Amino acid sequence: MDYEAVIGLEIHTQLNSETKMFCSCPNRPGDEPNRNTCPICLWMPGTIPKFSDQVLEKATLAAMALNCEIQKHNAFDQKVYYYPDLPKGFQLSQFHKPLAKNGWLEIMTEDGVPKKIGIRQVHMEEDVAKLIHETEGRTPISLVDFNRAGTPLIEIVSEPDIRSPYEAMEYIKALRTQIRYVGSADCSMEQGTMRVDANISIRPKGSDQFNTKVEVKNMNSIHNVGDAIAYEINRQMGRLSAGESIVLHTRLWDPEKSITAPMRGKFEGPCIPDPSVPQIVISDEWLENIRSQLPEMPGRKVERFVREYGLPHDEGVLMSMEKDLSEYFEAVVQEGISPRTAVHWIASQLMPAMRERNQTLSNTPVSSDRLTELIAMLERDEINAKSAKDVMLKLFETDERPDVIVKKYGFKQVSDMNELEVLVDTILSANPDAVDDFKNGVAKAMGFLIGQAMQASQGKANPKLIRDILMTKLG
Amino acid sequence: MNKEIFSYIDSKPSMVNKTGSLHGKSISIQPNMSVRGWPTEAGSRALERFAALEDATVVENLRTAGVTIKGSTHMSELGFGLIGDTAAQAVATGEVDVALVTDSMGEARIAASSKNLFGFKPSFGIISRYGLIGLIPSMECYGIVANTPLEITIVLEAIAGTDDRDYSMPEEVIPDFGRLEDIKTLGTCGVVAECVDMLEPSQSKAFSAALSRLDENGMAIQEVSLKDFDLFRVAHNVIGSVEASSSCGKYDSVRYGHRAQSARNWNEMYIKSRAESFGLLVKTYLFQGAYYQFEDYGTFENACRIRAQLVREMEALYETIDVLILPTRRKNDTIYDTHSIDDVYDVFDLTLPANMTGQPAIHIPGSFFGRETDPGLQFMAPRLGDMRLLSVADHLMKVREGDI
Repeated sequence: MDYEAVIGLEIHTQLNSETKMFCSCPNRPGDEPNRNTCPICLWMPGTIPKFSDQVLEKATLAAMALNCEIQKHNAFDQKVYYYPDLPKGFQLSQFHKPLAKNGWLEIMTEDGVPKKIGIRQVHMEEDVAKLIHETEGRTPISLVDFNRAGTPLIEIVSEPDIRSPYEAMEYIKALRTQIRYVGSADCSMEQGTMRVDANISIRPKGSDQFNTKVEVKNMNSIHNVGDAIAYEINRQMGRLSAGESIVLHTRLWDPEKSITAPMRGKFEGPCIPDPSVPQIVISDEWLENIRSQLPEMPGRKVERFVREYGLPHDEGVLMSMEKDLSEYFEAVVQEGISPRTAVHWIASQLMPAMRERNQTLSNTPVSSDRLTELIAMLERDEINAKSAKDVMLKLFETDERPDVIVKKYGFKQVSDMNELEVLVDTILSANPDAVDDFKNGVAKAMGFLIGQAMQASQGKANPKLIRDILMTKLG
Repeated sequence: MNKEIFSYIDSKPSMVNKTGSLHGKSISIQPNMSVRGWPTEAGSRALERFAALEDATVVENLRTAGVTIKGSTHMSELGFGLIGDTAAQAVATGEVDVALVTDSMGEARIAASSKNLFGFKPSFGIISRYGLIGLIPSMECYGIVANTPLEITIVLEAIAGTDDRDYSMPEEVIPDFGRLEDIKTLGTCGVVAECVDMLEPSQSKAFSAALSRLDENGMAIQEVSLKDFDLFRVAHNVIGSVEASSSCGKYDSVRYGHRAQSARNWNEMYIKSRAESFGLLVKTYLFQGAYYQFEDYGTFENACRIRAQLVREMEALYETIDVLILPTRRKNDTIYDTHSIDDVYDVFDLTLPANMTGQPAIHIPGSFFGRETDPGLQFMAPRLGDMRLLSVADHLMKVREGDI
């Protein structure tokens, strides 16, 4: 029998608000343990949570980026469970009245067909404390770090519209792009600011029923998610063909062994409305204000880049997937650099160099105006392409302007005809064999001679002029 | 000072504001109201050795008003019922002028009624709850017990007001408290027939006599009906226990509170510590709440719906009347002696409607009419009608004293 997979994803992502969700402590879970705490987020008796407006704004922007309907009335519930990472006994989450419902994202399937994945709801919840397990001598001990306690999360619950590991990965990428664009969250699975749980079931192809699902957790990269889902689909098919049935449970992905294994039964507590955080009532005016903060989203931006700048579609996508990159690109283009040249320099030169140095656009010293100036010097023939690459590497090391670097390190292109003719003569007399080869019709001898001349000039000669002089002299 | 009345006495009272409205007055609080550094055990082993980290907003406000906070009285475990509560005693014996009492079912009114004092429960949401270690957040507030409505009024003025630390307070303009109205007419008063039916014949007779006195003094008495009155008790019991169960989830004996010995792992430590920490009455209430949370959520949802319906029915009554009048209590001998959840609800079943609906209520002592054992008079008004109630009480007191 032919089976198909039915996959739904539950994605938790940590909002990048300044403060925690219900107090004014900094939202920096990675700081020295228990630095960012106060009686409220230590959940001490007598405290009352105070919901942050900025968290609501960030969560609403994210939900809008996922094409959701914002719920004018939403509220917090207490999700009751007992565990040392939650010494309050309940987590504030939205169960009965979530922030947003009925969204969607468009992805491309394996076959290159656009497909909409539904989003059932987006709700806010506070994160719990972090447990650190260590040993003191031979005694195992568990430490609790409250820096993460009360930091803001949104949980994004998809409809079970996903049919393959590939679609799941595309959905996560699309979701990450959208949420990063509105600046609400960093969405890094590797850094732990995004966590993905997958609900997977299988059914005969063409059926519309939902079978018993299995939840898979603990994937720490988008690739892991794809691998874990693929593994789980195979496992379930194996079960069914062996005549066994699927049991509702939760499994953990083991990235070392690339398998999923069952985890201990999870306790599902009740959710009761929280009496202390008042219902959130969203006015039309407030909502319009938030909507006006939405940037041009990538879907539109790609179209505009193709239309305005004449970029091929794939380059348009490349330049618009990240908001800061698209802004960098446009800043370069607006200074008069041709769009294709800008794409080439950003994608092939700047990005790899940044990656090597573990930099991002937000912290690289190669600002858009420095890169623009460099490209402009190249286009004015003041430096050649080889030197331009060297100058760019210097841009990472010093904060001097490109023209200063060119002067200081002698990158200026030699275009003086007399000087170049002397250079060419030297090369010709030093390489009689190559001269003969060229005269006997070996075309690549020309390349060799140009290379020799460039080398002799330490890369500073204008290669176009060298070629012209050689052609004249050997002509 | 008396250790039978106080669980903690402030031996080094801080400097008081001599220009404050309450300068020269003294007040007692309860050990679930936070004062930085004070033992704050809320009458429970679950909070053993807990000292508050910061002052409650109310405590800050009291200090600004220049009152002397003498100490904490004794309270029942987590404020559930009045077993061992000494707040009214502190006022009755003259130890303090005013006592603050955590009021989630009517504790201030009932305690006051046991000592011939005035007991007041303010509107929900006009006093910050920040720093109050509560049990039933949606019902509870600071109740005030005193000898006169005037003293209640000046304390209310000092502690009421918006607080950006208490996000649960409704966004609204809180009326100007502190000025008693000069009552020209007592207006129309609705008597809830269903409540009168709950009284013993002798109590009923005393209550009728009190109503006659009000009538003679110019209050128009009108009978009204709240046919679902008995649902107040049921709904409070369900919602209260569910909220209590949630509120007490944090008592895990890790950072404070009694910790059981000899547990083999953290899970066992939680279970044993909680088993040893809570008294039987509170434990029963928490179990009941957990039952509704985990096993019978539908009943909790129904209780919430019933509560909303009761609020609407109460509000509808005020369309034709100015204040409501109810007996304060129908049990006299068991106020401080409750052994089961039913016992507790028997004590408070006439006072808890104000806590369910967030409306203000005041107990006017029974001795007003010369009867120590009568069921007392309890007035209720629409939310934010606090000054109306206090003014009526003040007026009636003047009538008694022959000032009017």
